[in-house]
Amino acid sequence: MSAKWKRTLVAWALLAPLMLVILFPFAVMIITALKPQEEVLSPTWWPSRLAWENFVDMWAATEFGSALWNSIYVSVLAAVAALVVSVPAAYAMSRYTFAAKGVFRQFLLVSQMLSPIVLVIGLFRLVASLGLLNDVNALVLVYGAFNIAFTVWMLQSYFATIPRELEEAAWMEGAGRFRTLIVVFLPLALPAIAVTAIFAFINAWNEFVIALTLLRGQESHTLPIRIFSLVAGRYTVEWHHVMAATFVATVPVAIVFAWLQRFLVRGLSIGAVK
Amino acid sequence: MTRSVFTSPYVLILPGFLLTAFIIVWPLVQLGILSTSDLNRFGVIRGPAGWENFAEVFADPDFIASAWRTLIWTAAIVVGSLAISIPVAIILSEDFYGRGLARVIIMLPWSVSLTMTAIVWRWALNGESGMLNSALTGLGLIDQNIQWLAQAGTAFPVQVAIGILVTIPFTTTIFLGGLSSIPDDLYEAARLEGAGRLQIFREITLPLIRPFINIAIVMNTIYVFNSFPIIWAMTQGGPANSTDILVTYLYKLGFRFGKLGEAAALSLIMFAMLLVFTIVYVRLAMRRESR
Repeated sequence: MSAKWKRTLVAWALLAPLMLVILFPFAVMIITALKPQEEVLSPTWWPSRLAWENFVDMWAATEFGSALWNSIYVSVLAAVAALVVSVPAAYAMSRYTFAAKGVFRQFLLVSQMLSPIVLVIGLFRLVASLGLLNDVNALVLVYGAFNIAFTVWMLQSYFATIPRELEEAAWMEGAGRFRTLIVVFLPLALPAIAVTAIFAFINAWNEFVIALTLLRGQESHTLPIRIFSLVAGRYTVEWHHVMAATFVATVPVAIVFAWLQRFLVRGLSIGAVK
Repeated sequence: MTRSVFTSPYVLILPGFLLTAFIIVWPLVQLGILSTSDLNRFGVIRGPAGWENFAEVFADPDFIASAWRTLIWTAAIVVGSLAISIPVAIILSEDFYGRGLARVIIMLPWSVSLTMTAIVWRWALNGESGMLNSALTGLGLIDQNIQWLAQAGTAFPVQVAIGILVTIPFTTTIFLGGLSSIPDDLYEAARLEGAGRLQIFREITLPLIRPFINIAIVMNTIYVFNSFPIIWAMTQGGPANSTDILVTYLYKLGFRFGKLGEAAALSLIMFAMLLVFTIVYVRLAMRRESR
């Protein structure tokens, strides 16, 4: 047996217990989502047949479509809002030295500490005074703002890896700074911007407490709130619907995340030590 | 080279600064005003209250209990996830078959919203129909169903364990970045000198990833201290407030009991706690490094 095979065996054996605990809830979710209604309450592992109709029933019973649309709307716009203001800020942080740079970085750090939950009373009053309670656009504003520290951090660490020479060459050719930024820098930065945007999207997609506080009406619910409302304070819970809804709300995002997670390793750790 | 007003660094950071300031500073100012005012339950200010709201928070036994539980919650999850993530990151940075898949599996909990994770666990931990009880019975580990979430003695430890589980991916990510920054020749040189595995870990790996450990501790403490969905979606602080931490207590104070003044005071107290922790920790970490 070669050394690599031996390492492989040891590594998987050591990681197996943790993986078991990680995968257990996913197994529970998928199995329950596919159980026929009359078998849901008996804790057997295998359903007698795969009840695909659960997904169709769930869609109608939970008004899943409207919550899905709200979640997509909020997450896309929040990611765009965060990126529109973060790209210039991250560019400034990675390309210039200026007096307020340290202060701005501290400001972003402290803004991370003031998480939405600590500010929730103040945010509620802010949104109420803007007349945006129960309006998904309020979430766009709040999520966008709370994402800025994360997006600036990620973008800045990637921007630092883009060589300056190309921009300098463009200046030599007589292009202005602004033109260079648009024509030379942005195309190079596009992959980093796309990856960061997706993570901002996922952050917004998964947020709970702000949505719980600001959205009261059924028609403005996002997915986490809709699914929570199927469970909280109910005497009977249709668990096969809840798990089917959780599955649809979770799996597409999890796949994208799994595909992109290696970018996080680089972005976060480079940003962390600089 | 032509300079443009659009490329001044101050102009570039201005939109980000303004949006963040609007959403964060304005509510903070509101908290300051509310916490020192006498409010009715609809949030209408009746007059100044001085430090009354703060005094009431500190006099509330539920606050004291939640504060202690928050300390246990935060310390257990931060330390627990650290203790698991360091070996996991070391294993994941070794070269073995299927490493890509192993990384994806370890990172999975990060991709799922905490709310959904908590709801799925709530179902898996259900006393009669939950699959955890049936799995443990099947393995012969228990002979009668455990009411995991219905009793204080098991509900909170289970939530801490889930908290650790969902904190591992982020922590491992930080350490993977840290480990990849250690040059391979250091390890080779140590091996040539005849250093054992444990010795290499203690003398080389640990000191070199110390800055990453510090980052993980500070960031995880902030996240975990503020973490709301796991407890709220599983037990809403129950049974009988036995799983309330400060964030869930704050939410109840503000939106269930309508004590907005006290809730605002509690928010500021919590922010002060985090600020003090971060400053003290960063100071200590810097002093150790300069030594």
